Amino acid sequence: MTLPIRDRRHFLRDLGLGAATLPFVGGLSSLHGANREDDNAPQRLIVFFSPNGTLPAEFWPQQLGDEHELVLGSMLEPLKPFRDQILMLKGVHNRVGGDGDHHMRGMSCLLTATELHPGNIQGGGHTPAGWASGISIDQEIKNFYQAQPEHRTRFGSLEFGVAVPNRADPWTRMCYAGSNKPVAPIDNPAQMFEKIYGDGKAKQQLASVLDLVHDDLRKITRKLSPEDLTLVEQHMQQVQQLERDIAAAAQQQELSHPEPEIDPEIEIVNDNTPEISRMQIDLLISALANDMARVVSLQFMRSVGQARMRWLEVEEGHHALSHEPGQNADAMEKLKRINHWFAGELAYLAGRLAEIPEPGGLGGTMLDHTQIVWVNELGEGRTHTLNNIPLLLLGGGAKFKTGRALDLGGVPHNRLWLSLANALGHRELTTFGNQQLCAGGPLQLA
Amino acid sequence: MLALGRANFALCCRLLVFQCALWHSDGADGSTAVEIYRQHCARCHGGSGEGVKDYYESRLYGDEDVDALTRRIAETMPEDDPDACVGDDARAVAQYIYDEFYSYEARLAKGLAAPPRVELSRMTIAQFRNSVADLIGAFTAPPPDGRPPGFARLPTKRISSDGTVEAAGLLGAYYQSEKMSKLDQLVLMRIDSRLDFDFGAGSPDGEIASDAFAIVWQGSIQTRSTGYYDFRIVSPNGVRLYLNTGAAQSRGKLRDDDSATIRARLIDGWVSSGESRALRGRVFLIGGRRYPIRVEFFKYQETSSAIRLEWKPPHEVWSVVDADSLSSAPASRTFIVDTPFPADDRSLGYERGSAVSKEWHTAVANAALATAEEVTRRLPQLANVAPDDPDRRAKLADFVTRFAARAYRRPLTDDERRLLGQTLFADTTDETAVRRAVLLVLTSPHFLYTDLSPAETTPTGYSIAARLAFSLWDSLPDQALLLAAEREQLTTREQIEQQAKRMMRDPRARLKVQGFFQHWLELEQRDVSKDRGLYPEFDEAIIADLRRSLELFVDRVVWSKASDYRQLLQADYLLLNDRLKTLYGPKQHLVSAGSSSSSTFEPVNNSKETRSGILTHPYLLSAFAYHDNTSPIHRGVFLTRNIVGRQLKPPPIAVAFQDNAFADDLTMREKVTELTSDQACLSCHEVINPLGFALENFDAVGRWRTQENNKAIDARSDYTSAEGETLTITGPSDIAEFALSSPIAQRAFVKVLVHHFAKQEPAAYSPDLLEELRTSFVQDEFHIRKLITQIAARTAAHPSNASGEPSP
Repeated sequence: MTLPIRDRRHFLRDLGLGAATLPFVGGLSSLHGANREDDNAPQRLIVFFSPNGTLPAEFWPQQLGDEHELVLGSMLEPLKPFRDQILMLKGVHNRVGGDGDHHMRGMSCLLTATELHPGNIQGGGHTPAGWASGISIDQEIKNFYQAQPEHRTRFGSLEFGVAVPNRADPWTRMCYAGSNKPVAPIDNPAQMFEKIYGDGKAKQQLASVLDLVHDDLRKITRKLSPEDLTLVEQHMQQVQQLERDIAAAAQQQELSHPEPEIDPEIEIVNDNTPEISRMQIDLLISALANDMARVVSLQFMRSVGQARMRWLEVEEGHHALSHEPGQNADAMEKLKRINHWFAGELAYLAGRLAEIPEPGGLGGTMLDHTQIVWVNELGEGRTHTLNNIPLLLLGGGAKFKTGRALDLGGVPHNRLWLSLANALGHRELTTFGNQQLCAGGPLQLA
Repeated sequence: MLALGRANFALCCRLLVFQCALWHSDGADGSTAVEIYRQHCARCHGGSGEGVKDYYESRLYGDEDVDALTRRIAETMPEDDPDACVGDDARAVAQYIYDEFYSYEARLAKGLAAPPRVELSRMTIAQFRNSVADLIGAFTAPPPDGRPPGFARLPTKRISSDGTVEAAGLLGAYYQSEKMSKLDQLVLMRIDSRLDFDFGAGSPDGEIASDAFAIVWQGSIQTRSTGYYDFRIVSPNGVRLYLNTGAAQSRGKLRDDDSATIRARLIDGWVSSGESRALRGRVFLIGGRRYPIRVEFFKYQETSSAIRLEWKPPHEVWSVVDADSLSSAPASRTFIVDTPFPADDRSLGYERGSAVSKEWHTAVANAALATAEEVTRRLPQLANVAPDDPDRRAKLADFVTRFAARAYRRPLTDDERRLLGQTLFADTTDETAVRRAVLLVLTSPHFLYTDLSPAETTPTGYSIAARLAFSLWDSLPDQALLLAAEREQLTTREQIEQQAKRMMRDPRARLKVQGFFQHWLELEQRDVSKDRGLYPEFDEAIIADLRRSLELFVDRVVWSKASDYRQLLQADYLLLNDRLKTLYGPKQHLVSAGSSSSSTFEPVNNSKETRSGILTHPYLLSAFAYHDNTSPIHRGVFLTRNIVGRQLKPPPIAVAFQDNAFADDLTMREKVTELTSDQACLSCHEVINPLGFALENFDAVGRWRTQENNKAIDARSDYTSAEGETLTITGPSDIAEFALSSPIAQRAFVKVLVHHFAKQEPAAYSPDLLEELRTSFVQDEFHIRKLITQIAARTAAHPSNASGEPSP
C-alpha cells in the first residue's frame, strides 16, 4: 500500500505509446509528408493558440511562394524537423469589423469569423462589445463529425487551456458553440484527466486505505453483541467488494494507449506553466490516440495575457512587452524567446503525434492524419493589426500541399476556415461566419 | 367538549379493577377460552395467531390492552357473526389471545419478539452530511469581517445569536466606474433588504452617473430546509453570483482584463448584450445554516439597468430573496457533501442506519473522495500551514491526527496516532498522505458508527458527548462538548442536562426539530395539488405558502417560552400572509390585488370558524384529502395514528374510493359510512371515521364550510377511545382536548420523539423510560423543548447507576 516516491519534476511518464517497444511503423515517412491516400483514415483538427501577436520579421520566411523552399527562421527553430509538413500562410486577414477592440475581435472573431454582439465589455479602445454572434470553425467541424456515425467520438471535441484565467469574457474565449455561447477551455490537467479518464486515480488512493478500514471493522467485531455483528459483517463485505470493484474497473479501463500520469496536486500557477503545458499536451495526445475526440483546441493564456515567463527569464508581462517599439532590442529578444517557446510546445505536440502509428493499421502516423493550425489573435502585438494572422499549418490532416509558405495577398480568414472545413470532409459548407467575407469561396491549398 | 366527565372516568377505572378478577375465568357457558378461540378464531387466525392463508394472513399481535381487545372482539368478531362472541366470552378469549401471543410480553416469552436493546447503527444520511460539514467547519477560520469602514454608521436591525451586529439584507457598495475599472470610486454604501431594482436609464443615486456604475453586494444567506436550491438572476447587465465559496480575496479593483484567479461562481453573466435574461445556477445546501453570498453587478453604456435575485428553495416557489433570509454579517464556506445516498431504512417509522448496502457504501466512498479533494484544495487554510513552511510535514501530520480525533469524537489511541501521523506519511508526498488520511477517517467505523461504546457499561464522557450531539444535532460534538468530556464534566445528570439545554439553542437543534415535524406531520414529498376546475386559486404559490405557514406555526409554538404542546393542538388562529388571506382570511381581511408582500405572516383569527392548531391547518387538511373532495379516511387515519396514538393494521381488504359509485346527493360522510359498513372494515373504521368526520367542516383545501351538497355538515360522532371511554366528538377541538388528556396519546407523542432523536426504541433503555418521560412532560406543562432535552440527556447517559449519576 505504499506509493512510489514521486518527484515533482518527473511526474511525466513517457506517454504510453510504449514508444520503445512498439514498431516504429511509418514513423520516418511522416516527416516527409503523407505517403498514401486512405479515405477510411480519420481526420483530426488541432487548433493551437498563442496570444499577443508575433514578431512578423522573425516569423515569416524571407521568401514566400510555391517556387521557394521553406526556410524557417531561428524563432521557429524547434519546428525545423517538421519543415516538410508545414504550410505557412501570409496575407490572411481577420476582416471582421464591428464592436470591440482589436484584442477582443482578434480573439472572439478568430475562429468564428463573424461580428461580436454589442455589449458591456470595454476594451482598451473602440466600442464595448459582448460575445461572438456565431459558431467557431472547430465546433462547426466537431458538429459535422458528431452527426456521422463513422466519425462520431465520445466527446467530439475537447478544449484544453494552459494558464487561462478563470474568467469568461471576449478576451478569454475563442471557441463558441453558437451565438452567445462561449465554450470554456479546461486549464487544469487534473480536471481534464478526470473528465477523460474518470476518477480512477482517486479510486486507487481509496483502495489503498480500504484494508485499514477492514482491519478496524474486524477489531470492533470483538466487542459487539451477536445481534450487532450482522451490520458490521455486511460492512466488511462491502469494503471487500469495493476493493474488488476498483481493481476490476482498473483492469477494464485498459486503453489502447494508457493514460498519461498526471500530478494531481500541481498548483495551477504561472510558474508551473511549462509542466502544465506538457501535461495538457500529453492528455490531448492520449485522448486523440484513444479516439475520444477528433477536434481539439489548445489555448495558451488569453488575448492581452500578462503571463510572466520566468522560466524563460522574462520578468515582464507578455502583453506589456508586445507593446514595445521595434527599437527596444531587449523587448524584441524577449518576445522572440517567448514565441520560440510556443514553437517548442507546438513541436513537442507534433513530435508526439509523429511517434504514434495511425491506430487501426491504416498507415502513416497520427500526424499524417491530423491538421494542426497555429493561430494568434493579432498579426503583430505592437500595431494590434488583425492583418497577416501568423498562420502556421502543420500535419497532413487536411491534405494541403506542405513544405511551403504562401502570401495570399490579403484574403479574409473566413475563406481559410472554409477550405479547412472542406478539406476535413465537411464539403457542404459553402460560407462560414460573415457571408460577405466569404466571396471567392475556399482557398486552393491542396 | 367531552361527553365523558371526570367522575365517569374514575368509575370506569374501578370497573376495570373489579373485572380483573374475572379475566382468567372461563366464558359464560363454562367453555374455556381455548375452546372459544378454536371455535371462533382459529380458522382465520391459526392455532397460535400465526394467520391462515387466504383468510387473515398476518400474525396477530399489537399493543392494545385486554379491554380494547375485548370490545373489538365483542363488536366485530367473528366477522361473519359478530354476535357469536360477546360479553364474558369475548373477554375470556381476549385475555387468552393477549397472554398467548398478542402482547409484547407473550411474544417475548415465545421468542417471537426480540428483547429491546440499543442497537448499533451507522450514521443516517443527515448525520453523515452534517458531520462532514461540521468536521471541516471545525478547521475553518471564522469569516473575515469584510465590511468596509462606513458600515458602522449604517442602520442595524438585529443582533445575531453570536452577538454580532448585523442588518437584515445585504451590504451594497455602489461605485462609479471608469472604463474597465468597475470599482473606481465608492459613492454609496447601504443595506439592501432585497435585490430587486430597476434603475431604468438612470442610476441608483444622484451622485452616480448613469452610463457606467457597479455594485457589489455581500453578506450571508440563511437556509431553511436541506436540498437543492435554484438561484436566478434577471438582468440586462453584467452579473456574477458567488455562493458558499471561500472568503473573498480582498481585491481593490474589479476589471474586465484582470487576470487574478478567483473563485468558482454559481452564475456568471459578466458579458451581456443589453437584453434582459435570466441566468440560473443550482446548489445543494444543508438547512438551518448560513452561507456566504456575493453578487457583483455592473452597467456599461447599456440603455437600461436592472437586477433581481431570486431563489427557489426546496418545497417553495420562485421568489425574490428577501430580508428574512439575508444578513449583512459575513459567513464562512461550509463544505457540503452532495453525493446522492440511498434512502435510510424507515421500516420502523423513523430513519435509522440499520444496514450497510452496496449503494450506501459506494456513496460514502464517493463522499470521502469529495472531502479529500476539498481538504487538499484548502489545505493551507485548514491545516494552517504555508506551502513553504519548513515544518510542513510535521504540521500536516499533526493536522490529520487532530482531524481524526474530531471525527472519532475522542482522543486517538497510540496505534491510530502512529498510523495517521507516521505510517501514512512514509514514502509519499504530503498531499497524498493527507488525502489518504482523510479517506481513511471518513470510511472508518469509528467515524461512521454513531456509538461504539460497549453495551451495559457506563459510558465515558466522550460517548455521552457524541450521543448528545447525534441526538440533538445529527452531527459531531462541538468543542464545548469535547472539552466537557475531557474535563469529566459530563458525569452527573445535571451536567448532562445543562449541556443538552445549551445545545437546544444551536441552529442545528432547530433543524433536527424541524425534521421531526416534517416526519410526524408527514410533510415529505406530498402532492397537495387539487382539481384546478374546483379550486382555481389553489396554485403552487398557495401550496408553498401554506407549507411555510405550517412550518412557521410549529416554529412559533416550539420555540416560544412556553413551548406548549397544547398550543400546537389547540391554537385558534392561522398564520397567514396576504396571498393566503385571500383564501383563508375572514372577509374583511380581503387584500386588494397587487399587494406583493408574501413574506409577512401574521396570526389571523376567524371567529366564524373553529380552528384547532395543526389538526385544522389547511396544509394538512389539503394533504389528507382527495384532489376534488375531502377524505375523512385519510384525515381520520392521520389523527388516529399520530394524534391519539393508536395503532392501525393495514386494511384486510383493499377498497378504492370511487366517487362516481355513489349517488350524487350523498355527502362525503354518507359515502364513507356506506363504503366502510362491512364488518371487516369496521374494526378499524369505527375508530377512524369519527375522527375524520369531525373535520368535515373543512373542504378539500382546508377552508371552513357549513354545507355540502346543500346539506348541513354533520361533524358529530360517538367515539370509543383506546381507554374504553365513549365520548361525543363534535369537532377538532374535542379531538385535541381528548388527545391532551389521554396517556396513550401522550405516550405515543413521546415515543415518536424518542425515535426521531435517539433513533432507538425507548424500551431499549428501560421499560419505564417512556412512562417517566410522559409523566414529566405533563408535569412540565407539556413543554416540548424540555421533553426533547430530557430525551437527549436520559438516553445519552444510559446505562447509568441507580443514583442517576454514572460513575466516571
